[in-house]
Order: sequence, then structure tokens, then C-alpha cells
Amino acid sequence: MAASQRDISVSEFFAKNRHLLGFDNPRKALLTTIKEAVDNSLDACEEAGIIPEIWIHVEQTGTNRFKVGVQDNGPGILKKQIPLIFGKLLYGSKFHRLRMSRGQQGIGISAAGMYGVLTTGKPVKIVSKTSPRKAAHYYEIKIDTKRNLPVILNGRGDGEDIPPKEKGDKYIEKHGIEWIPVDHGTRVTIELEGKFVRGRGSVDEYLEQTAIANPHITIHYQDPECGNGSGEERVWTRSTEQLPREPKEIKPHPYGVELGMLVTMLHDVKTMTLSQFLTGSFSRVSQAVAKRICQTAGLKPRTTTRRISRGDADKLYHAIMETKIANPATDCISPIGEELLLKGLHHVVPGEFYVSATRPPAVYRGNPFQIEVALAYGGTSSANRIPRDVLKDLLAESDARTMRQFLTNTFYGLGNDAADRIIKEASLRPRSSPGKLKPAEIKKLHEAMQNVNLDAGQTMNVLRYANRVPLQFQHGACAITQSVMNTNWRAYGLSQSRGQLPSGPVTIMVHMASVWVPFTSESKEAIAGYPEIQKELRLALQSAGRKLAMYLRRRLKVKQEGERRNVFLRYLGEVATAVSEINQTDRKKLYDQLLVVAKKKTAQADVKLDKRGRVVEESNGDLEADPNVLIVDDSEMFAPSTSENTNGQKST
Amino acid sequence: MAKKARKAAATRANGKAKTKLNTRDQKTMRDLVGVADRIVVDAEKKRDPYFDIPTRTLSNIKYSKAKKILEMGKASNRRQLFNLSQAKVYMQSVLVASGSKRLIEEGKTTSLRGLYYMLKHTIEGTKEETFDEQSQSDTVIEDMEVTLNSMREELHLYAKNAGSMVGPIVLNDSGDQIDCSRMGSGGYSIPSIVEPEIIKFGKCDAKFVLHVEKDTVWRRFNEDKFWKTHKCILTHGGGQPPRGVRRLLYRLNQELKLPVYCLLDNDPWGYYIYSVIKQGSINLAYESKRMAIPQARFLGLRSSDYQRCDLSPSVKINLNDTDIKRAKQIANYPWFAHKKPWQKEIAMMLSNGFKLEVESLISKDISYVTEEYTPRRLRDRDWLD
Repeated sequence: MAASQRDISVSEFFAKNRHLLGFDNPRKALLTTIKEAVDNSLDACEEAGIIPEIWIHVEQTGTNRFKVGVQDNGPGILKKQIPLIFGKLLYGSKFHRLRMSRGQQGIGISAAGMYGVLTTGKPVKIVSKTSPRKAAHYYEIKIDTKRNLPVILNGRGDGEDIPPKEKGDKYIEKHGIEWIPVDHGTRVTIELEGKFVRGRGSVDEYLEQTAIANPHITIHYQDPECGNGSGEERVWTRSTEQLPREPKEIKPHPYGVELGMLVTMLHDVKTMTLSQFLTGSFSRVSQAVAKRICQTAGLKPRTTTRRISRGDADKLYHAIMETKIANPATDCISPIGEELLLKGLHHVVPGEFYVSATRPPAVYRGNPFQIEVALAYGGTSSANRIPRDVLKDLLAESDARTMRQFLTNTFYGLGNDAADRIIKEASLRPRSSPGKLKPAEIKKLHEAMQNVNLDAGQTMNVLRYANRVPLQFQHGACAITQSVMNTNWRAYGLSQSRGQLPSGPVTIMVHMASVWVPFTSESKEAIAGYPEIQKELRLALQSAGRKLAMYLRRRLKVKQEGERRNVFLRYLGEVATAVSEINQTDRKKLYDQLLVVAKKKTAQADVKLDKRGRVVEESNGDLEADPNVLIVDDSEMFAPSTSENTNGQKST
Repeated sequence: MAKKARKAAATRANGKAKTKLNTRDQKTMRDLVGVADRIVVDAEKKRDPYFDIPTRTLSNIKYSKAKKILEMGKASNRRQLFNLSQAKVYMQSVLVASGSKRLIEEGKTTSLRGLYYMLKHTIEGTKEETFDEQSQSDTVIEDMEVTLNSMREELHLYAKNAGSMVGPIVLNDSGDQIDCSRMGSGGYSIPSIVEPEIIKFGKCDAKFVLHVEKDTVWRRFNEDKFWKTHKCILTHGGGQPPRGVRRLLYRLNQELKLPVYCLLDNDPWGYYIYSVIKQGSINLAYESKRMAIPQARFLGLRSSDYQRCDLSPSVKINLNDTDIKRAKQIANYPWFAHKKPWQKEIAMMLSNGFKLEVESLISKDISYVTEEYTPRRLRDRDWLD
């Protein structure tokens, strides 16, 4: 028995428990790989002060086999570090510091590489270049899972150097290395077993949501269909050149420290006085605060750390918890900002009303965090607004087998139910092929798409973010979803069943920025519900909700005014005809005069209405003046949606 | 403005054969055109047009002790075109006015249902109908009657015939001589419009009018030739008598000086039928002066008849909650409130806890009501006022 007891390497552990890291099924494995690579790239670029541009290539190499290449324009990685970063689990710069970043543990990309090697046997290929004048480094590595160490396969275990300038270009071509010429940057290519899907939890969705939360990045994306020539590259262009404020690194806050950690810290530091230890190792501990802590603990501030016993440490720990210490500095977190939130959301989600709300920074367990919420309302599905000629092109291009498939695949937020209703309204056969529709049928379909109310039965779309990274799975377990469900949206003019997400054409985006996001697992899919976090979430959601309610109330009022006028208009003709029959008055003249009276009577509605019964700008008073609110009128709304439909069209 | 429009109406070169209007029709026509002209003036002055319609509820009813009839008060409801809840009914009112104008112009009359169909159409550009049900147009017609202060007859409208008459009297109905003593078993069906222009009274040998509630009782009296033996005119109104029947009773009473006796059920509805004949109805109080017969008398049935006539217990019908409520309501009407015999009568019915129908007398004998009950009441002058 004793003989069989031995060390377990962290790599072995995760190789067996890959679901902990988000590799539980082929579909998710592909997404997690891309996600980890993109997160690392963005972190690297932002730390180096470079506006990120990312290239993502997904290529199918066999049944269930994909080659994923992710390249950035980041600072590049030092030669020595490359194998360790990509070939050793739990190696990284982010774990030990308290600073907001996408990655936290240093598991992600190396785990992805390990998964690739395990499933396909193909090595991870890395190209990194730090300067246009210096040589780029090219590595092919595997992971020794037993020892959790990288194994370099090329250049006799030392990697290869690619010379700069033209010589390098030739070298790259000769050796078939994948690389998009940039001055500096890193590319990682992993081949893995996966499954490419669209829709919920897909790569497309991840990139789209990333674009919303990161309006400063540009993404070039080639999906597997691009590779076989049937699709185009999809590009999300940045809407701002401004990098997010660089978050500062902070020392841990005393409230966030646990007893065991305190003991370790005491043991690890060089010999110094207790007072020095406290002020030097923690944030927000001044001399005075340190003195108070020592007093409460019954220890002398001048005692050296060496002489603090277990019992003393325990006393010290309780004294820290009892002493009032200021909240940690919040410059270690960098929120997206209300303006960019609105911009990002508007860029990607069509709607008529946008609002954002940012809470002031707060603290849980000594970790500062900040909650931001942005909400888009309206968002008539693009299906409602698509011009007929564009629809015609889409139908011709589509290779969907049925109409229903075409509708659900093509239009964002259009479910089977809505597709069926459209097909019924257009009186098409559900199984008719999109490519073979006659012009008359296309016309009918187009009319049906405009007439069918797609809002009904739509539930709120919740986009969750942690440190600008979209969270796509386990929404039920996440504190964000729970907070959204627990908010009483009925008070804000939406309908909602108890314990459910509200319904209506609403997209809500919730971002938690923190130096340490408390995920429920290593795969970083759901945020744990600390009471402090829940409270901040609630307040932020309510703040956005209040403004939504204002808008909806106003909209309703205007709508009612409009309906009112319609009632009058409906009967005016009858009245005019009857009167002219009685006394031979000129019917037309009387009708026009009555119309004038009607308009006078409902003047209010007139001012506020445009042709589709939506609010026009003048009427929005307070809301318009609010910098956190964006109200889009019809004509404006059309522009992004058409471009989305033409450029951003998924080329199925 | 009104003058101009009238002139226009008069000089209108209409290809259609136009019947010559009699004076009453001319008056109605003037009123209708007046309504239309008001709308035109309002529209020109950018005001929202309205009608003031006298209120037809109990709150706006006054009982005139001097005339002993119900009169309508001064309260009115304003009906506006530019009021969300009134827009449609306003439109309907104007439609009714135009429909009636057409009828007068062409010299025709139609039933309430006929007018409903005449005016019912889909509003242009919508899926909405001008009228959904006849009940809607009926109410609007009554509104217009009050507003224009014209009777339904004057608007060339009539209700379906309900009520029959038989007796020693000769009528001239639209030029036809009708001898009401030779009407067989069915009797003369009383039309909805019984104005002097249409019905003229000829030779009359009757001494009084006996009005019964329903057809079944009326048939009993007719079969037994009660009207022959007692020299009376026998009428029924099929429950609550329609305006034609009431107007005819009024004319018989006023012009031929015939007293009117009513034989009705002993229940709140019977009481109210009597009340309507005598004082006029709440809903049509504006018509009271030409319909109410303050001299009408209530022959029976009486609450005491159960014991007096020794009726079988199986003819009792227990009072239900609505009966009791209605009885108390009627007892509180000002025109009943001060009449002690009536208060006693209603109190007795309530304490009996049952009501009696006229037909219940049949349990004594088939012709008990015609041979025994009614003659005795008349002989003894035993009635309620």
C-alpha cells in the first residue's frame, strides 16, 4: 500500500479532471481554447499599452479535429519564457499579484495546449516576436504531464529563431509556419479534438460578446467555413482608440486575509517588527492602524515577526477583523465606463433605448470590485427591418435546407417559434428551400417578417462579464443571473414570472470588474454570490431599471395618445359623411375642419410621435440629457443593422 | 348658417321622388338639420362638437304631484366627439340623425331593427362596425328622441307590434276601416305608431278599457266575450306595454273619455306596469305627458285575493331576492310613497312571501276571472288608485 503512494503532478490532475478547466466536451473545448488564447493576448496587449488587434483562425483538419490559431499584436514574449508559459500548468504572472486582469491562475492556455496534445498528438506551435528588428522565436512544444514541464520538439529541444525582415518571410514560407506579418506579437496554434457549432455557447457568440465589452479591440475571425472558401472573414472593428485605464497592482487588504495565509506571510517575510510587517504587506494599514491592531491583539508593535507564535497569529488575525480599516484603493480596477458600455452595446445589439449604470467600487473579503450594467431595450429583431433586396441576397446565399432553419440561423434573437409564425403568416411551406423561392414568395415572406410581432415570448438576454471576459456557461449558477431574476422588473415596466428572467426585447449586460473574481470553478463560468456582490448587482440593476421604466412609461403614454387620436380619426369620416347627408355641407371641408380640431385636441401626441409611434427626440427631456442614456430613433437604428446583415452575416 | 343650410336643403335638386312633408315632419327635419348645422359651426370655430342629452335615470325624474305624472328634470349629459369614451357613440348619434333624415325625406318608416341594418356598415379603413348590436342603436335612438324632443314616430321609426285590442269600436287605420268587434280570436294588433294621422277613432260603444298584462289572460277574456257583455275595450301589452299600446290607451282615455282599468299580476313587475301606465316610465319620462294616464286604476290581483278567493296553495309562487328588492324599491318611489293603500298592499305581499299571477284564478274555475272576479271588482269599485 505505502509503495503505491506517490506524488500527483498538477498536470496529471488536470489531464484527468479536464472538465474543471472547461474541456468537458468537444464543443466547449474548442471554445475554451480560443477563449484562453484571446484572454492572454488581450491582457498582454493592454499591459504593454498596445491597442489590441486579434486574428483568429479556426480550420477543420479532420472529422472532429480543428486547428486553432490565435495571433495578437502584443509585445511578444521573451524566448526563455515561451515554453514555460505554454507548456507548464500554473505558471504565470497573474496569480500572485492583486490586479485586475482577464487571466488569473496561469492554467488556461497551457491546459488548452495539453488538451490538444492529448487528443491529437500534435504539438503546440508558438511564434513570438518582440521587435521588427529582432528575430522571432518559433517553438513546437508538448507537455510532460508527469513532471508538469514543457518538452520542446523543434530545433533539437531549443526552438528555432526566425530572422527579421525579408529573410524571415522566406523562412516562414519555407517551413510552413503560420504567421500574419506584424511588427511584434505572438501566435499560438493548437490542434485539438473539438466540435464547431453556432448559436448559444459558440465561438461566434463569445467573440461578439467580447467585442461588446471591449470596444477598443479589433477582431479578425475566420471560421472553418472560411477555410474551405465558402465564407468570408468576419471583422469586429474597434469603436474607440482609447485603451482602458491601466489598473494598478495593490497589496492584499487585511480583511481578505485568512489565518493560514497570515501565518505563511509572517513566516515568509524577512525579520522585521510587527508594525513594519503590517504596514508593508497590506494595503490601507498605516502606522496608526498597525498600532491599533497590535493593541487589540495584546502584542507589542515592536515585536519581531520571528517571535510571533501560532497563538499570537490567531490573536492578530482576530484583532485585524475587529479593527476598522479603510476600504482598499480602487484604482486597481478599471471599469469599462458608461460611455463605452453604451457604445459597445449599441454597436452590436440593435435597440431603441440604451442605458448604463456604474456602481462605485465596493469590497468583498478585502477584494475591491465594481459592478457595471448596461441595458438595451427595443431591439426589434433584424428580421423586422431587413430590406427586401438584402433578404433576397441572403436567401440566395443560404444553404439552409428549410425556411425555418434559414430564419433561425440568419437572424439574431429569432427562435423556432417566431420562425414558424413568420412562415405561417407568409403561407409558405415550412420545408420549402430558401434558395428556390419565387419573387412573389419572397415578397410575401418579407411582408410577413415585418408584420409578425417577434417581441412576444422573447426573454431578456443576459450577457455576463467578469473582467471584460464574457461568461457563456452555467448561467443558472451565476450570481449575475440570480440577481437579474431576483430583481422585480415588473416595477420597471417589463413582464416577469416569479423567479424567472423578465420577458421583452431586452438585452442586459452586467460586468464585474475585480482584482479577484470569485469564480465557482477553474473554468471561470459563473460568479459566486458573495452578499456584497449581490448587493451591488442589485443596486446597479435597479438603477438601470429605473431609467428603463421612465422610458417605457413615456413610450406608453405617447402610444396611448396616439391610439386616442386614432380613435377620433376613425370616426371623423363617418361623422362628416352623416352631417353632410343631413345638411348638404361640403363633406371634405367639414372633415378637414374636424381634423384640425382633432389635431388641436391631441396636439401632445402629435409632437411626440413619429411615423411608427415611437418617441422622437424633443420629448425625452430628462432622459435625453442623461449621459448614461442613449435613445436611438428609427432612421439611425437602421444603419448598424444593415451593415451587420451584410458584413457580419454568418455565411452558412 | 342654419338658414343657409335650410335653404340649401329646400332648393336641392334631387332626382328622387320627394314626398311632400307634413308640418310635423318639417319640424323634425328642422331639428335634425339644426343638429348638423351646430356641428358645422363648431368645426368652423375649431371647437369640439357636442350634444347635450337629457339624463334618463331616476335621479333626473321628478314626480309632478299636480299633474300626477313623471317628468324629466333638467340634468343632461354632454356627449362629445373628442372624448375617448364617447367618440363612437357620438358618431352613432349623428348616423341615427342622418338615417332618420333619409326616412323622413323619402316618406318611409322602418323598424328599430331596420334602422340598425340601414346604418350598420364597416367604418372605412378599419375592421370596426358602426354598430355591433341592435341594442346599441336602440339606446342611441332614444337619446336622439330626447335630444331633439321628438318622438320615435316623428323620426319615422317604429317598434315591432306587441299588444292586441278588441271591443266595440271602429278605427280608421291608414285609411282602412277596422271594426274591433269583429277581429276573431286574435284581435287587432296594435301598431307601434298610433298617432291621429294614422289611427282615427270612429264609432265607439265602449264604456271603459280593460287592460290585462298578457296574451293568455286576454284570450280568456276574448273567448268569453267579456268585452261584449261589459261593453269595454280589451287590450294587452305583452308584459310591459310598448309605447304604441300606451299611447293608444292614453288616446282612448283622453279623446273618448274611457276610464282605464288594469288587471295585472300581483308581483313587483305587475305593480310597475301599472305605474308606467299611470305615471309614465323612468326611461321615457319625456313621453309621460303624452302617454301617462293618471286616472288608471289597478283592479288586481291583490295580495288579499289568496284568502279572499280561497285559492289553492299550489298557485303560490315564492318571492325571490330580486322580487323583494324590487318591491321595496317600488314602495319607495315618490309616487307610491304617499299612498297608504299601496304601501299596505306591498307590505302584505312581502309578508305573504309569495306572488300571484292572474292565471292562478283558473284554479277556481276556467272562467272565474271573467265571470266572477273582474265583474265583482268593477261592481264593488274595489280597486287601487
